Amino acid sequence: MTQHAASGKQARDFSELDSAREVQTLSRPSLSYWQDAWLRLKANKRALVSLFLVVGLLLFTLVGPLVWRVNPAAQDLDQVSQPPGVDRVALIVAPYEPWAGGSTPGTGLRLAETATTQAVRLAWDALPGAQGHRVYRNLFPVGPERAYGIPRAEFFDNATLSFEDRLDIKPGTYYYTIVGLNADGSLSDQTAALTVEAQRVTTLAEAQERGLVAAEATLALGDSVELAAHPLGTDYLGRDMLARLMAGARVSLFIGIGAPLCFVLFGVIFGSVAGFVGGRVDTAMMRFADFVVALPFLLFMILFKIAFGIGPGESGVLPMLVALVLLMWPATARLVRGQILQIREQGYISASQLLGAKTHYLILRHMLPNTLGVVLVTLTFAIPSAIFTEAFLSFIGMGVAPPTPSWGSMSNEGIKTMLTTPHELIFPALLISITVLAFNLLGDGLRDALDARMRNRE
Amino acid sequence: MSETQRPASGDGFTQAAGTQLALYALVAMVVLAAIMALLSFAIGDSSASGGGAIDAERNAITITLRQEPPQLDATRSTDAASFAVLGHVMEGLISYDQKGQLIPGVAERWEIREDGATFWLRDDALWSDGKPVTAADFVFAWRRVVDPATASQYAFITYPIQNAEAITNGDLPPTTLGVRAANERRLEVDFQQPTPYFDKLVAFITFLPLRQDFFESTNGRYAADADMMLYNGPYLLSEWVHGASMRWTKNPLYWNDEKGFLDEIDIAYITTDVNAKLNLFKDAQIADTDLVAPMLPEAMERRWHIDRFMDGTVFFLEFNHRDGRVTKNKNFRKAMQLAQDPSELVYKVLKEAAYIPAESLFPSWIRGAQELLRREHPPTKHEMNLAKAREHLELARQELGLDDFPPIVLLSGDTPVSTLSAEYYQELFKRNLGLEVRIDLQTFKQRLAKMTSGEFDLVLSGWGPDYDDALTFGDLFSSWNLNNRGRYDSADMDANIRIAQSELDPVKRSAAFGEIQRISYEDVVILPMYERGWSFVVDPRLDGLIRRAVGPEVDYTYAKIRSASQNGDE
Repeated sequence: MTQHAASGKQARDFSELDSAREVQTLSRPSLSYWQDAWLRLKANKRALVSLFLVVGLLLFTLVGPLVWRVNPAAQDLDQVSQPPGVDRVALIVAPYEPWAGGSTPGTGLRLAETATTQAVRLAWDALPGAQGHRVYRNLFPVGPERAYGIPRAEFFDNATLSFEDRLDIKPGTYYYTIVGLNADGSLSDQTAALTVEAQRVTTLAEAQERGLVAAEATLALGDSVELAAHPLGTDYLGRDMLARLMAGARVSLFIGIGAPLCFVLFGVIFGSVAGFVGGRVDTAMMRFADFVVALPFLLFMILFKIAFGIGPGESGVLPMLVALVLLMWPATARLVRGQILQIREQGYISASQLLGAKTHYLILRHMLPNTLGVVLVTLTFAIPSAIFTEAFLSFIGMGVAPPTPSWGSMSNEGIKTMLTTPHELIFPALLISITVLAFNLLGDGLRDALDARMRNRE
Repeated sequence: MSETQRPASGDGFTQAAGTQLALYALVAMVVLAAIMALLSFAIGDSSASGGGAIDAERNAITITLRQEPPQLDATRSTDAASFAVLGHVMEGLISYDQKGQLIPGVAERWEIREDGATFWLRDDALWSDGKPVTAADFVFAWRRVVDPATASQYAFITYPIQNAEAITNGDLPPTTLGVRAANERRLEVDFQQPTPYFDKLVAFITFLPLRQDFFESTNGRYAADADMMLYNGPYLLSEWVHGASMRWTKNPLYWNDEKGFLDEIDIAYITTDVNAKLNLFKDAQIADTDLVAPMLPEAMERRWHIDRFMDGTVFFLEFNHRDGRVTKNKNFRKAMQLAQDPSELVYKVLKEAAYIPAESLFPSWIRGAQELLRREHPPTKHEMNLAKAREHLELARQELGLDDFPPIVLLSGDTPVSTLSAEYYQELFKRNLGLEVRIDLQTFKQRLAKMTSGEFDLVLSGWGPDYDDALTFGDLFSSWNLNNRGRYDSADMDANIRIAQSELDPVKRSAAFGEIQRISYEDVVILPMYERGWSFVVDPRLDGLIRRAVGPEVDYTYAKIRSASQNGDE
């Protein structure tokens, strides 16, 4: 090719280059370390799913409370320990007025008024030969074994022939029985039974206060309203589970992400200094790390709580964070130190040094990037363990102060009513499990993806 | 990335690993199931050979105890577990019958006068070593109670006896106590002030006898072990394995044929865990168990005969009346009073079937002059009134000169019921009055320590009766009572308590209690919460188990195993 030809005939030049481009497209695109890692992470389905879970969790924690604007501390005592997905329609009735009893038309055991979740008002005639009466309530029909259910009241004379039951009445069927008492207070054979269907009710004032209807709404008695929705049910004080789980996630993730970030950072600095400087300094620093490992975490947690002057009823989250940061860094430090020691002896470091590279260049360009993979993996594994620690400490009552929820403290409360209302335990426990699992799997995937030796090996 | 560039081997690897994992899980589950089956078989086998809840052949039952008594020296005992054990193995001058009425114990008969009392002891009351129980045994025991060296926490209960208070304070020697053995069979007591309820008082555990020669022979180890004690009750403590179990056997030397029908009572488990007790009951390992609210549906489904009893204790929110606390301000207390309703707490929050909302300091079962105190002097009907509550809060704000109230510290125990109540009140006072309440959860001992030192604004507290008289509640808020942890101090209250303590006319005395009740409501000394009761279930083969408010809360001394024919009726 002459100069002359080149200036005159550009098209020919390009056709030659075309063939060159074809060769280039056959080779792989040049990938940076992170691009390569991301590609390998994407190929790992488990890691990818857990990454989405983690992102979803962050959204749940940060965006959730903006969407689901329910006060996690508000108590809805009309819907205590409500499992998710229950019918919520309630009738409007007059506010509760104390009932003096008195005579009501009819015979036998009868209702003085319609039974509602506000109160069940019973009246009866004295049973033959009875010197008094005992009122029982049952969730099941009374059979021949005469197990009448829960004793609700006793009257040792026949002056009182009525009873008002207000104990935790849920919409549904109740079987009431009155049993005659003998003179010595024992049960006689005389009984009268009544099946009661309780209806869910609320008052207008309550409905307005809770914002179920507009403040100026005029509802007549007997109209129905829809009670506040609780998609995941309520806890033992009628607090919204979803709102509490979101609020609890904030505490769990604050500890779960904040603490590992701090102690991993400290561990990296500590470990790289020890590894890079080496010699006696290294020995001294690592012995100090061994010393820290030996300190008992729970004891220090309690000591910090006292040292911080955390008074009664104040949150113990800050001392927990400090205790985690001060006691958990040695593992990272050891790992990073080992890595640095290894890298220091590599050929490319010597080459770089021979070419005149300065110390800070060596550290920034070669040492740190090569340890970053290890550090990230440590971080993702530290997160679930920190979340778990928080859950555990709150479970034993060392963490958050009521009414602030945390998944651990919610599980602790839920376990008390595990048999009757399992949803109070299942939801926080499930979230803890999913979070811990997601971070673990993500860490697993990251370890594979970030391993420099696995680079380009497909 | 296109399909061809995908790492095919990776997918295969994941699949293989998944299959392997599933296989491991399957094997682990099968092994686990096998172990569990084996264990349940082994346990089922052992229960068949073991005693079980009711052993009709041996005439024995197995029960649980809530906690282990620290020791069984009645002069120093303060806890319910010790009271329960002592109530079976010891007997005082006077005891209780099945209906909770006083009946003669070691004392055959007695006489209570304005200035003192006389007890005539029976001849056939014997110690477990065969020697008779004498008046001197009571003198020795009671002197030991008031002796400052003993440091008995219940010394105050003996204060109606002449010089008791001065001796406890170290001003007089114990020998000056107003009690003497006129002879072996006659005990004379001099009063400090008229004490019409002294018969009810001596039924209390602190007044049990103690024999000097035996006590001295134990070298300070008295009542620390089963063989370090002498017994005079219907049962003997025949075995005491510390931290594990106890065995009570029938006392052959006991005089009363109307008590102690069982040959043996085994306390095989010492636990506070209601769930563990429920499981033991289901497996027919124990004769009775308490039921908490979440267990009731299952109990109903199993068709158990659920019973209940009131243990006599009243729970209340106690204010701190010390200087420098906002709760010293009456309007502030009034605001809190008007902003709450105990029935909501009981019916909607605690949901315990055997609890009843408390209306006053005095529980519903306390008797006045003729009938229930509640009928003679009905407590003020409480109604929640938020508008009025906020008015009082505003007044308090002005009186205290505060812009904002400081956070209120609510001291609470760490039991499930306490924490639940505390969380309820925290939100209630925030919603209704805008007050910030901080909950201070503490263990029982720590809570008592903080109550004594006054480190609280509000405390969830309770008081159980020591003897069957309204005074056991009535003198709680006297300025001199050390159990008045909020240091409430009012001349009006003190004057009425003085009347209640020494007035001999029952009607006037009852009126004084009515006044105490009125003051405690109007001056808002406390906010009554609930009267505690227990739902419980007893094995249908066992008859005559008594649970009561005053005296040992569980009493097996009248318990019998039903004969087979009676069993058939069930």
